[in-house]
Amino acid sequence: MSLVADLRAVLGSDRVHSHPLQVRVYNKDAGVTSGEVLAAVLPETTQEVAACMRVAKGHGVPVVPRGTGTGLAGGAVPVEPALLLVMTRLDPPWEVDHLSRCAWVGAGALNLDISRDLAHLGLHFAPDPSSQAACTIGGNVGTNAGGPHCLAEGLTVAHILGLEMVTADGDVVVLGGAAPDPVGLDLRGVVVGSEGTLGIVTRVLVKLTENPPAVRTLLMTFDEIEHAAATVSAVIAAGIIPAALELMDQAMVVAVERFLKADLPVEAAGILIAEVVGLDEAVAAEAAIIERIGREEGATSVRIAADEDERALLWRARKSAFGAVAQAAPNYYLHDTAVPRTALVDVIKKIYEIGDRYGVGMLNVYHAGDGNLHPLVAYDANEPGKAEQVKAAADEMVRVSIEAGGSLTGEHGVGLEKRDLMHLVFDPIDLDAQARLRGAFDPNGLLNPGKVLPRGSRCSEFGMLPEVGE
Amino acid sequence: MIRQELARLAGSLFADPIPDAPDAEFTIAPKTAEDAAAVLGFAATNGLRILFWGGGTHQAMGYRVEPDIIMSSAQLDAVADWQPEDLTVVVQPGVRVTDLEARLEQGNQTAVLPEDAGSATIGGVIAAGISGWRRLRYGPSRDRMLEVRLATGDGRLVRGGARLVKNVTGYDLPRLVAGSFGSLGMITEMCVKLWPSPARLAMVRVDDPERALARAYRPLALIETPAETVVYLAGSEQEIAAQVLRVGGEAESGHRWPEPLVGNTELILRVEPSATSMWAATMRKIDVDFQAAYGVGEIRFVADGIEPEELNRWRTSVERMGGAMVVSRVSDDFYLDPWGAAPTSVGLQRRVKAAFDPRRVANPGILPGGI
Repeated sequence: MSLVADLRAVLGSDRVHSHPLQVRVYNKDAGVTSGEVLAAVLPETTQEVAACMRVAKGHGVPVVPRGTGTGLAGGAVPVEPALLLVMTRLDPPWEVDHLSRCAWVGAGALNLDISRDLAHLGLHFAPDPSSQAACTIGGNVGTNAGGPHCLAEGLTVAHILGLEMVTADGDVVVLGGAAPDPVGLDLRGVVVGSEGTLGIVTRVLVKLTENPPAVRTLLMTFDEIEHAAATVSAVIAAGIIPAALELMDQAMVVAVERFLKADLPVEAAGILIAEVVGLDEAVAAEAAIIERIGREEGATSVRIAADEDERALLWRARKSAFGAVAQAAPNYYLHDTAVPRTALVDVIKKIYEIGDRYGVGMLNVYHAGDGNLHPLVAYDANEPGKAEQVKAAADEMVRVSIEAGGSLTGEHGVGLEKRDLMHLVFDPIDLDAQARLRGAFDPNGLLNPGKVLPRGSRCSEFGMLPEVGE
Repeated sequence: MIRQELARLAGSLFADPIPDAPDAEFTIAPKTAEDAAAVLGFAATNGLRILFWGGGTHQAMGYRVEPDIIMSSAQLDAVADWQPEDLTVVVQPGVRVTDLEARLEQGNQTAVLPEDAGSATIGGVIAAGISGWRRLRYGPSRDRMLEVRLATGDGRLVRGGARLVKNVTGYDLPRLVAGSFGSLGMITEMCVKLWPSPARLAMVRVDDPERALARAYRPLALIETPAETVVYLAGSEQEIAAQVLRVGGEAESGHRWPEPLVGNTELILRVEPSATSMWAATMRKIDVDFQAAYGVGEIRFVADGIEPEELNRWRTSVERMGGAMVVSRVSDDFYLDPWGAAPTSVGLQRRVKAAFDPRRVANPGILPGGI
């Protein structure tokens, strides 16, 4: 039987799409590349995912898992014709244990729904990517998603206590759980961020974090972007790890203001959003220290959000950054490098120089507190030669980040987009180790092939090392 | 023959036998990561088994390894690169936790490693997946792991992660190595995330731990022992004052952590956090010494005098709920399986082990399922 017929035998015909027009909606994510989809299926249970995996294995067809497609690195875009496992319907009733502060949710649950629906328990899911209203937990796990509040709370991996996963063989395993420190090798850490290359995550035990009793959000403006960056370093040096420290340059502020009309200070060279959370008395004291440091470093104004509405508006402004750009320019190219915080000022300067040299329009938003940069180049791909120019500029931005001790991606993932840059940060032997690890989970190479690692990562493929054992 | 070849390769690294370590033909203390990789490669070629040794504080955990070589981290003991402004430090595995923390404290920083580390090394603590009491606030030790250099079981020197507080480039080898009990190879260097030391420390005795956990906002720890139940707080002066007001009771300045348990047999229950109070009550009823970490789900207790049948019943009951009962320290005349039931992912785990240690050289068989 054909692949599609076998899948229909498992899921019925309604949830198996193979018509070219139907599958086209699944051929790309929020990034720039697209791929070829053989069929797209919409499983609703773990067992259905396992059955689809076995069908795919039987046909030797690669499998690519996908949430709502908000990823930016091409993680959900097939490199070779593949079966798309669309995980959005995998959203069984949650099992919430508010005393243990955790909940089992399906891979298809939306990030923001968890925090919103559990607010009455005084709990939330800490990772908050800009796409949190639309992105799934399964996708968050796949990319090890970040967000502004990862500065104090860590990336998604620090908030995943357990995982249920369908293996390359179509078996179901559970990793970890509510009890601490699972016995044996702890595989949770490598599965989170593996972009569907080690298994298909079907359910997730998320750690829930107490909602802070009080929040203070500060908006500081600066005449020079370097002063804003210096403020970031000085705050951390003062022994304060705020909940978030976000920097936007003037071009970005102007774009967002045009999009949102949030009364943002468009004359400033840069703005810094700082947020502190905790007990009322403590946040008041910390906010005062941050304000003092900001002024010492040259802040031209400091405003503290007066109420929850103003705070929400500030965050909407920050999280609308990419949406605002999408409205302003036909195409954009976005990077996600991470650098040591101490290199921030220097790398930011160099990135502006690169933008000027190539004559490309640039907007910047930074998770400045943890050195995660998002230089964004807006352009029109219809302009002859522009796309190549943008790509060359972007590659140079990556290189200056790496020369400063940085890495390719702070939160978006490697996916397809940065796969072929992996040799810039890892030696062949390191990539070989990662390829071996992947082979342990996926010996036949059917789980999202062509992602994360460049082809030929196994040293044995080009005869660099003798094979030992196996 | 083997002795001559090994002497040629690593003769200058031969060391005296380590007191307390099991008998082994060789004791080797590499001075560089390359040394360690060379010895592992040699062992892989010659079918030798290696037991890694740091401070010896957690060697009682896991199945026994009968080693041909004891590989000591004693000469890999440098704090290589401390970047206070980046909140990172690069250390070799043989650095003692207490020494590292004392040094970091001079810059008002901490790696939030176990508070009562004794002679434990950072390599040992990370390999054994041991976290300090403050994990309730800061997460487990594995969340500190940013970058690792690993000499694998087949003698390769591999790096994973990066010296950055935020990074998702490539598979997370640093977290895989945490808690792996040396089964993949020897950690030769790691970059660890740091936190600023809080300005003030305080503790408050409470009567009702669950109420206190609900009232306090993200305390560092909440620990019940037979003698007392204490909430550990930290932060600015204002924060401590506000916390004490919420929790109620008298604040005492500073932190006094529970003394290590005394007894021949010490076990650790790992349960869902909401079950902590029930287990603490059980310990009280049978009158054994214990330390229960609320919000975490870890209960350490002295099992001397408890019948093995009873312990096995407890084990079955916690395993059914997804938890575990593991042996931390045991007397010779007392047998209890060190780990209990193997997890369902044991097949995957075996293949991961083989990807790093195909010849089963590195602490072979220390984990469940012969890993």
